Amino acid sequence: MTRTIIPFGPQHPVLPEPIHLMLTLDDEVITEAVPAFGFVHRGLEKLVEIRDFHQMIYVVERICGICSMLHAMCYCQGIEEMMGIETPPRARFLRVIWSELHRMHSHLLWLGLFADSFGFESLFMQFWKIREKILDIDEATTGNRIIVSVNVIGGVRKDLTLEQTRGILSELKSVETELKRLETTILNDYTVQNRTVGKGVLTAKQAYELGLVGPTLRASGVMQDARMLKYAAFDDIAFTPVVETDGDCYARCKVRFREVFQSIDLIRQAIGKLPNGEIAVKVKGRPDGEVTSRVEQPRGEVFYYIRANGTKHLERLRVRTPTFANVPALLTMLPGAGLSDVPVIVLSIDPCISCTER
Amino acid sequence: MFEKILTRARMRSPWMLHFDCGSCNGCDIEVLACLTPVYDVERFGVVNTGNPMHADILLVTGTVNHRNRNVLRNLYDQMPGPKVVVAIGACGLTGGIFRQAWNVVGGVDRVIPVDVYVPGCPAKPEAIIDGVVMGLEKFMEKQHVDIS
Amino acid sequence: MFTMTSTILRNLLKEPATRRYPASVRPSFEAARGEIRNDIHVCTFCGVCAVKCPSQCITVDRKAADWSYDPSACVQCGVCAEVCTSGSLQQARDYRKPVRKKELVVLKGATTPPKHSDPPVTG
Repeated sequence: MTRTIIPFGPQHPVLPEPIHLMLTLDDEVITEAVPAFGFVHRGLEKLVEIRDFHQMIYVVERICGICSMLHAMCYCQGIEEMMGIETPPRARFLRVIWSELHRMHSHLLWLGLFADSFGFESLFMQFWKIREKILDIDEATTGNRIIVSVNVIGGVRKDLTLEQTRGILSELKSVETELKRLETTILNDYTVQNRTVGKGVLTAKQAYELGLVGPTLRASGVMQDARMLKYAAFDDIAFTPVVETDGDCYARCKVRFREVFQSIDLIRQAIGKLPNGEIAVKVKGRPDGEVTSRVEQPRGEVFYYIRANGTKHLERLRVRTPTFANVPALLTMLPGAGLSDVPVIVLSIDPCISCTER
Repeated sequence: MFEKILTRARMRSPWMLHFDCGSCNGCDIEVLACLTPVYDVERFGVVNTGNPMHADILLVTGTVNHRNRNVLRNLYDQMPGPKVVVAIGACGLTGGIFRQAWNVVGGVDRVIPVDVYVPGCPAKPEAIIDGVVMGLEKFMEKQHVDIS
Repeated sequence: MFTMTSTILRNLLKEPATRRYPASVRPSFEAARGEIRNDIHVCTFCGVCAVKCPSQCITVDRKAADWSYDPSACVQCGVCAEVCTSGSLQQARDYRKPVRKKELVVLKGATTPPKHSDPPVTG
């Protein structure tokens, strides 16, 4: 019996991001996986010492390009809570709209990459084609395709006109019909089922004990979603988390695919209830004290710890990102899997390395 | 004569290698978006390869940090000459908004020579296509130097 | 089996989704955040943009009437144009073109800056 050690990454065709895994193989079966991090570490939490708390919005937004809006939203909600600022209702609804658009574009991106990881390239192209519509909405309403920069402390920077909301609704309709057509392919196709069903199984107990978050946890049958905390405008919007019970790669795919439709529904509700009024309030004074803030990102729950001392620079900023919580799942799922399943299993937790390492 | 045909062929179908050198994913997904149907750079013969030894153009995104600078150097050395390096995004150019952070080297050109700079945060796919085209011109110039 | 066929056939019959970029350029959206332009004749060199810039890529020298910015470090957030007191800073819709050499943009105004009554700059 020979043991082989195969390095996976940091530059790998399947993953655009540099993650490094040392895989110990016994024939074709993995016996041990050791991850190595640090390829994307920038040390941006320490930037609070030279950037003031308004400028930090634009820094935390660039922790991760895919969930940038939600990072900024989480940070702003934390500072607002600390300073006792009441955001206007319109701003809270607008935040929901943009954050759900962000979730849609992240999930569509993931669905494409997931299809690519088992070699279904035409499906990858289809999902990315649909995703461009969401990016167009983002660019037309906020000015940038990916890093939207709409959050400020006390509200949002941009407003939606009536025309723009109508445009969003009609675009969402076409996105929905195109996605419905792909439903049989992603959920019932022979190739997809063959490569994902029964791969990387996590039971509800395991998932809960490992402290997983987001779709990875919900696919194992645990109903937990930070949107149930009713931040932003979620207290006025009907919402039930998407839950699957199988806990394998296929279930995670199903959860994310269904969440895209859920996001469409949430945006429709938010646009339907969008109140009139101010979009931001003036901010006076400096933050003081400490606060924690939680927001549901496409990958799971993000946690911000902010401590301020009454000056314009914060004292400490700590970010705990969803992938950081989900990496232990990887180390439980990989032993016992075949080498050819590694890309599928690694992608099934939707790793975001730039979030994890900051 | 043969050399000329080879140069032509390489110009017509440049293979590119994309390396994420510590970026926020913003520029990476825009590079990937260039390959998907809406921008589709494959109509110019551009192929995304995972092997540095097959690549003509190296697209680098992100702030270089002290850990991955060796990986970047390694990838650059493995590419056959003539080669072109395109740095993408504010981070790849100078370190962008992070250039004062402690683990940031700041800019791809501190580690390897860069031929084309594509600004933007994140750089738009149109800008990336422009950058690759500009890189090809540079590629042609380098090729002439190599032949003569 | 054959679950993708209908999508493929539909794609074959429909017009292509590709934007033929260099041949036909799609105009930028009205809200698009592109490069920063400064009308130096209007600029009062108050320095608010330099203080507020999250990327710290703008430098203003009031005495020499110099306004310079590093386009390769700019993250195009649009904060500087938002806080500009004289309205000289504008964010254009077009993205900045790729370059072969990094360069600073240095703009020189009249050496005696016009008097203005800005509020004192606080971070």
